[in-house]
Parts: sequence; C-alpha cells; structure tokens
Amino acid sequence: MLLEPIFWSLFSLGGFITAFLFPVTLFLLFFAAPFHLWPTDPAAYSTFGGHWKEPLVRLFFFVLIGGSLFHGTHRLKFMLMDAGFKGRSAEAFLDVILNGVAIFGSLGALFYAVRGWLF
Amino acid sequence: MPMTSREYAWKRRPGWWLRNRRYLMFQLREAGGVICALYGLVLLNMLVQLRAGESAYTAFLDLLRTPPVLYLNVVLFALVVWHALTWFMLIGKAQPIQFTRQPLPWKVVFGINVLLWLGVSGAVVYLIFGGI
Repeated sequence: MLLEPIFWSLFSLGGFITAFLFPVTLFLLFFAAPFHLWPTDPAAYSTFGGHWKEPLVRLFFFVLIGGSLFHGTHRLKFMLMDAGFKGRSAEAFLDVILNGVAIFGSLGALFYAVRGWLF
Repeated sequence: MPMTSREYAWKRRPGWWLRNRRYLMFQLREAGGVICALYGLVLLNMLVQLRAGESAYTAFLDLLRTPPVLYLNVVLFALVVWHALTWFMLIGKAQPIQFTRQPLPWKVVFGINVLLWLGVSGAVVYLIFGGI
C-alpha cells in the first residue's frame, strides 16, 4: 500500500519511455536487417558490441529495460485481475511476483550496463 | 460520525472487453504494454548473450530471425506501435500539465507528440545506433 504510488509513478514513466523509445529500437534490432530495410545490421555482434562500449548506450538500454518492465508488469497485474484474479491474497501474490520481475529485471539491466565499464 | 473506509467493488466481469470495438482497442493497448515488458526481458537476455561472447550472441540473434519467431515478432511489434500511438492519444486527453488557459484539443497534442516521437526516434538512430 505504501509503495503503490511509487509503482504507479514508475508505470507512468515507463509508459513514456516505451512509447517514445521502443518502436525505433525494436525496428533496428529485430526487423531492419532481416527484411532488408536498413543498409547495415545494427544488431550484428561487431556493430552492437562496438556501440555497447559507450556509456550513453548502456544508460539507454538500462532505462529502456527498466521502464518497460515496470510499465508492462503493472499492466499485466490489472489484466489478470480483469481475468478473475481478485481478492486481497491474489492481488498480494501478483504484486510480489510482478513487481519482483520488474525490480530484479531492472537490477539485472543495471548490472550489465555497468559491468565492463565501472568494474 | 466516525469515518469508515470502503473498498471500491471490482465490478467488471471477465471478457468485458469483448463487448464492443472500443473496449477491444483499449485492451489491445493494455496488451501492447505487457508485450513491452516481454521485449524488456528479450533485450535483457540479449545483453546476457552479448556478455557471454560472439557465438552465444549470434545464436540468440539467429533464433530471433527464424521465420516463425520473426513473424510472431511482427505481430507483437504492431501491438507495441499501437501502444505508443494510443499513449500519445491519451496524453492529449489527460493533459496533466496544462500550458494554456484552455486545454489544447487532444488531436493537436497527439500531433505534437507524434512529431516529437519522430524526432526522438531520429536521435536514437544517430546517438545510440551510430546513424545510417
């Protein structure tokens, strides 16, 4: 209950992050090369690995992954409640599992963002 | 008279969003948000494979590019784009920060956000992926 405003805020922030940044990122990484829509392959190991050395790129992916997880898991919670997961215990269970995915996923992204850069 | 707290009763029945097209579009937007989280996990795994080395990373990328996964990704990508467009629409309707005396028409705010989206996407191409 105490943390609810924080999760709602992260949900809203994640909504902006995913809306503005996800389409172009997914297009470049997953569709540009396979459908021959881009002159290079932005996801190729040498290309992406080269960009990954830059701190701004690492920060970008940390923000993108964290924002998408907090946004999507919050939405999933309410979709599951719509689907019939009702009641205090069900909601508490969803909170623990879904917020856990968002928190640990974001920490994982932070770990990979700073690994090889700061330590 | 002492105040007592009352919980808001959850009234919607399962499947309410199948009742009409507007509810269905709303729920597709919600699904698009969930798909974003799924892609967040895919990107996280991409970083894990990048750390593991070239062969692991390339195997993961090849898996993503097999036809069934690729075409599934196209469908999921459409939901992500729908999520983005409807998010820009709702910004115009909610307008938490009002810059003018009267709220701007939501279509104007939507248009501004789409232009902003194109600008941000261009910046991502150049700053994050090194340009064309």
